[in-house]
Amino acid sequence: MAASPTPTNVLEVRDIHTDIGQFHILDGVSVEVPEGSITVLLGRNGAGKTTTLKSIIGLTPPHSGAVALRGREIQGEPAYRIAARGIGYVPEHRAIFRDLSVEENLRIAERKPGDLSRRGDFIFDLFPDLKRLIKLPGGNLSGGQQQMLAVARALVPENELLLIDEPSEGLAPVIIEQMMEAIRQLSAHTTVLLVEQNFIMASQLADRYTIIETGRSVKSGRMADLVKDEETITRYLGAT
Amino acid sequence: MTALWKNNRGLLIIAAIVVVLMAGLLQSLEPKVWMSIMLSGATLAALYFLVASGLSLIFGLMDVLNFAHGVLFVLGAYVGLSTFMNPRLLFNTLPFFFVLVAGLIVAQHFGRFFWRRIGAVRSRQVATAVLVLVAAGLVLLALRGFPIRALNAFNITAVGGAVTTAEAQEPMAAMLRRVTMVLLAGLPIGLLLAPKQARDELPLRPVWQTLLIAGVAAVVGYALLLVRDPGETFMLALSADVRFVLAIVLGTVAGALAGVGIETTLIRPFYGNPVTQLVLTLGLSIAGIDLIEAVWGEEGNPPMPPPSLFAANCRSDSLLGWLGEHCQSIDVLGRAFPTYRLFIIAIGIAVFIAVGLLLRRTRIGMIIRAGVQDGEMVQALGINVRRVFTFVFALGSALAAMGGVIAAPYLGVFPAMGSLFQLQAFIAVVIGGMGSYVGAAVGTIILGLARAFGDHFVAAGINVPFLDTVIKGSPAIARASTVLIMAIVLLVKPAGIFGKKE
Repeated sequence: MAASPTPTNVLEVRDIHTDIGQFHILDGVSVEVPEGSITVLLGRNGAGKTTTLKSIIGLTPPHSGAVALRGREIQGEPAYRIAARGIGYVPEHRAIFRDLSVEENLRIAERKPGDLSRRGDFIFDLFPDLKRLIKLPGGNLSGGQQQMLAVARALVPENELLLIDEPSEGLAPVIIEQMMEAIRQLSAHTTVLLVEQNFIMASQLADRYTIIETGRSVKSGRMADLVKDEETITRYLGAT
Repeated sequence: MTALWKNNRGLLIIAAIVVVLMAGLLQSLEPKVWMSIMLSGATLAALYFLVASGLSLIFGLMDVLNFAHGVLFVLGAYVGLSTFMNPRLLFNTLPFFFVLVAGLIVAQHFGRFFWRRIGAVRSRQVATAVLVLVAAGLVLLALRGFPIRALNAFNITAVGGAVTTAEAQEPMAAMLRRVTMVLLAGLPIGLLLAPKQARDELPLRPVWQTLLIAGVAAVVGYALLLVRDPGETFMLALSADVRFVLAIVLGTVAGALAGVGIETTLIRPFYGNPVTQLVLTLGLSIAGIDLIEAVWGEEGNPPMPPPSLFAANCRSDSLLGWLGEHCQSIDVLGRAFPTYRLFIIAIGIAVFIAVGLLLRRTRIGMIIRAGVQDGEMVQALGINVRRVFTFVFALGSALAAMGGVIAAPYLGVFPAMGSLFQLQAFIAVVIGGMGSYVGAAVGTIILGLARAFGDHFVAAGINVPFLDTVIKGSPAIARASTVLIMAIVLLVKPAGIFGKKE
């Protein structure tokens, strides 16, 4: 790895191992997420990218290894306390609350009263559609709108880090463009760790990458170097 | 318009079916008969709802099927009855619960430090066994020879019990000894309930809070005992109406506390292990009724006298007339209907609205609704869902217990009253859709009406058009009708009318 002077890392994942039931899913994953960056986890289906995010937020706690948020180890704490330390989580399949209105979906994420009114302008600038739909039940939104709501929800409290799992999954190309633009804009305020199957989207958005292969992190570095490294791309990610 | 149809399809279909059915029944029955059956059904529905709403919320949020919910209904009824008729029983038994909680809370707070010192698995097993033995020994010693049957003679002191208070209760010194032993028994139980693994530990509340809660509980416990004689005299001197309100309040509070107790001891240690939770609540549904029979006796009690608002021996012409006359029945299209049952219906509606507002308008309600859908995601937003679980369990238990108290003047009080209502409530929840609050309400209304009409047709028979004979059903058909409805609903919508969960 490059020996350049490391900027401060918001998040450091060091050699975590995670089991789900009797299955050994993560078998040594390490990720560094420098402040202000967009870091992307790449890898084939089932490699363990989603489980890595879940292990960070504490939904599937790792049984060994360390997760440090700004140098402070948080692994093993209950998920709600890890989240309250300043991590926003946008799970795959746009897990919004379908029976709650758009406004309630946002309001439930408040950690302090008034979070939503403080951050409302920023959020609705990014996703103007949501303002129009504010009273509708989340379940009535289109797929793209739901995905926007899931990202917006993670922006309601002041988070240091956003974990975003497959934001482009199942969306129309136009919507993917909008989503990319929104993530690019919000990354000016918050550090992002992204899981993205769509390599084109990932390569345009991210500054850094980590490749996960069968539960192990095998390679990480600068995105700019990866796009030139066709051998690595074909070896770990299949075709470009 | 289309959105309205899309969002409420289940409700609209059911409403249409019910309206058509009711209109058909109205054709074949006299309006006054039809109306009184409807009201009887609504009375049953209100009571079913008080049990079913809690069951549904608890299942929706925590995936726990609480088979002990019927026990809470019975507990509420008995605590209410004792408050109303036999306060000396309360003054001599409630202190045990308060001091037990006091000891338990203190020991649970410091328990984690105890378990941290014992590293080896073997020593932990030994420590657990020793603690169980010590706790069981202390409880047995404390309760050996406790004159529960005398305290409870005929469940009545209000109108002159068979045993005088002085004979029924033990001398103060003996009671103080018993209560103190239960306080001490709380300590090993608290240690047993303390988190044994670091990963199970919830954030520790400040020491002063623990000591304050425990202190208040202990003081209340001993104080209740010390004032038992003036307390009993005072309570019996209160008017029957005040005692009725007190019965509802204490019965409901008892249900809430029992709910917290069940959640923290039987449910919380076993999240992620639903079979264990199921078996534990099933066991409690049997042991709980046995415990209630041990305290209050196996024989049933006649209905509690209703408050004076519903007691005057007359028949009012209208609700307005009833407001002045306080008659026990009211004229509904020329037929008498007991006013107390209207009160039960009113309570059912009031609770439906109050809990609905709680769910719709408050932050905790929002968290509950979100948690029913995806508890993991709620956690990932930084919200401690477990704390909400305890609240919902307490709320559901309180509603069931309240149902028990309110049913007491209508049904009487007997140990089997809970299993009856629990079964119907389960069916109502399944019909309405597990975890849906509105579903629970709709399910209970359907069941209440089905039972009422079923009972009527068993008694009076059905006039089949174009036939002279009257077809009478057997009582078994009336009882089976609810299960039949459930089967039909599940065939059409496997998740229930409003169900979203599998």
